[in-house]
Amino acid sequence: MSWQLERADEAKSPTPGSSAFDDYIRRNVMMTRLEDMVAWGRKNSLWPFNFGLSCCYVEMATALTSRHDLARFGSEVIRGSPRQADMIVIAGTVFRKMAPVVSLLYEQLLEPRWVISMGSCANSGGMYDIYSVVQGVDKFLPVDVYVSGCPPRPEALLQGLILLQESIGRERRPLSWVINDQQIYRKTPDPVQRDLRRADRIAATEIRSPDEL
Amino acid sequence: MESTTLLEMGSADLVEELSLRFDDEIVAVQRYCDGIPVLWLSRSGLRQVLSYLRTDASLCFEMLFDLTAIDERVRTNRQGQPPSDFTVTYHLMSFSENCDIRLKVALLQPDLSIPTISDLWPNANWYERECWDMFGIQFTGHPNLTRIMLPPTWKGHPLRKDHPARATEMEPYSLLQEQREVEQEALRFKPEEWGMRRESATSEFMFLNLGPNHPSVHGVFRIALQLDGEILIDAVPDIGYHHRGAEKMGERQSWHTYIPYTDRVDYLGGVMNNLPYVMALEQMAGIVVPERVKVIRVMLCELFRIASHLLFYGTYAQDVGQLSPVFYMFVERERVFNIIESICGARMHPGWFRIGGVAQDLPRGWDKAIRELLDFMPARLKDYDGMVLNNGIVKRRTQGVGVYTTRQALDWGVTGAGLRATGMEWDYRKQRPYSGYENFDFEVPIAVNGDCYDRCAVRVEEIRQSLRIIRQCVDNMPPGPYKSEHPLTTPPLKEKSKLDIETLINHFLSVSWGPVIPPGEVTMCIEATKGLNSYYLVSDGGTGSYRTRIRTPSFAHLQMIPQISRGFMVADLIAIIASIDFVMADVDR
Repeated sequence: MSWQLERADEAKSPTPGSSAFDDYIRRNVMMTRLEDMVAWGRKNSLWPFNFGLSCCYVEMATALTSRHDLARFGSEVIRGSPRQADMIVIAGTVFRKMAPVVSLLYEQLLEPRWVISMGSCANSGGMYDIYSVVQGVDKFLPVDVYVSGCPPRPEALLQGLILLQESIGRERRPLSWVINDQQIYRKTPDPVQRDLRRADRIAATEIRSPDEL
Repeated sequence: MESTTLLEMGSADLVEELSLRFDDEIVAVQRYCDGIPVLWLSRSGLRQVLSYLRTDASLCFEMLFDLTAIDERVRTNRQGQPPSDFTVTYHLMSFSENCDIRLKVALLQPDLSIPTISDLWPNANWYERECWDMFGIQFTGHPNLTRIMLPPTWKGHPLRKDHPARATEMEPYSLLQEQREVEQEALRFKPEEWGMRRESATSEFMFLNLGPNHPSVHGVFRIALQLDGEILIDAVPDIGYHHRGAEKMGERQSWHTYIPYTDRVDYLGGVMNNLPYVMALEQMAGIVVPERVKVIRVMLCELFRIASHLLFYGTYAQDVGQLSPVFYMFVERERVFNIIESICGARMHPGWFRIGGVAQDLPRGWDKAIRELLDFMPARLKDYDGMVLNNGIVKRRTQGVGVYTTRQALDWGVTGAGLRATGMEWDYRKQRPYSGYENFDFEVPIAVNGDCYDRCAVRVEEIRQSLRIIRQCVDNMPPGPYKSEHPLTTPPLKEKSKLDIETLINHFLSVSWGPVIPPGEVTMCIEATKGLNSYYLVSDGGTGSYRTRIRTPSFAHLQMIPQISRGFMVADLIAIIASIDFVMADVDR
């Protein structure tokens, strides 16, 4: 779906048949499928749930406040209740004592709902391979985007959010995979950012010295 | 140095006094490199000696600083210690005389029970529950000995040496619907278990669950409230939702590779958490760090103190209803993080201190951004005073709310700004200077009322004092090496590695295994962002710790919430929680 805006008074009605007329129609009439339209709306109005577990929550808060300002990407309406939100950022370590609560909160989110796993702990347990920590939130929740880092920088979370928005705009739910009576739907996994950027990164010949500011 | 000798003299007198009085109860006396006397007591004499120390001794110990246990079953170096399977350790602190004492009681299997001391020091309650949870030690007479860190459905006691450490050594985790129901049911708050009544003569009480996920509890903390209308009758804090097993992790990692885990204990304190840990190791290994290292460490610690206090300041204002200040304070916080990142290479958890030094020297041109910050901050802090501290609504919301006295604070183990807000001028950096704090000129801000407002005001003033300390660091940064020349410095000096085969082998071993620390025990404490943070390390002469005990300030502070919030409204409770300034990782570790 593509669209553009134009001031109403600027365009004068062209004569039918001319190329200017086609342009005029294109600028004023939008043709799309309903589900594309809905996906576009969803993409640009994510309502995140105010939820955090540990250190990553602080970087998530940093992403929301001045300097990084998550509001620029249309996802700043933080909700205190899961029933008003459709996106949850699992920001921090998922503890065994907390896991039943996390899973309940996820189920209370409005459908369709999305999950960003933020930080190494939520991705895989990270450096906490320890008795009280679940080794990754994907052990019991479907995850749409994994943001790496311990904790990830606010910029990384912003990028994760943009990736999620892009994939919401492209894909219908579900983003991962489901089996039901009718079909087995399996989405081809999105490429990992590390792989996409590898060529650029190994092409770098000069790396800034840490001894100098 | 003079203060240390005085300290040791005072404690020597005390040991003599106790030996004369309780000859039968004292089994052994020891002293390790930290200078704190260690007295082994018989189980039957424990309460007698402790209540004497609490009230009658010439040195009165106002605070139960820490209470923990050690699983001694596989420890090899136990010279001079009585036989024991599990040792319960009490760390007491005297504020009037500025000295410490450690008491130990040996327990033999299968009789792992010991009398409670929660009637002597009220804060022993949670410490004893933690000990039961982690080691399975029974405290007879304890009012409610239940699990505190782990879920109620948990089997086993994780800090026992025979409990698996890794999640990957255990059954793979799964969460089925039925299991979730069971877990949720086990977490249900039952007032009767806490001796609460469901109704009074005039009204029926409401029980409200605040947390474990709630915007005002700063993470995962749950508190069950007993309400009469909107008046708080009682509250029961429930912690353990953030238990990351940091202490068990210490037994698995090598001395060197544990450093990054300390960053994540008080995750707003960053490298400040490294400091007590590396200083404890340096003391055990006998490493003396160069002056430059001390000043660099102080400078970074104070930068993190500012970052942490700014976050507190912003969220505190937000919790009492002011939404905008946090947006201003995070601007400054970003400035501080830019400096930290340019020096350490990371923002929140640099893990940048090393045993015997720091990871790298300061980069060229490091001081420019710091000087800018020092010039820029005071004016901003003045603005914030107008925005928050002088704001009439904030004052009305927080003055006279959550008041406690110095006496109460000491009873409950409160340290840091929460203690200083009651009028007690006690800062570890002044009382027992470490890492060269004795060379800095700064004041210890105090307040008088001990309410929410004062706790905030003290922290704001501490930001100004930290700026003062940082300016002195920048102006007087000593030249010299950023690492000690001691052989146990990790990673060792590269220049010394290629002299001959001997030095090469030593270098290889201390890089691959890490340092081997001589057997012993040590406690090292610092004035962290939230109060006193100490590491109690037991070395069995290996490449890793035998027991790592992290005493964190927030654990003690949360335990006090019911005491100071009874009779207030729910909204006041939010102000009280905000004024405590805790992070859950610092509570549950």
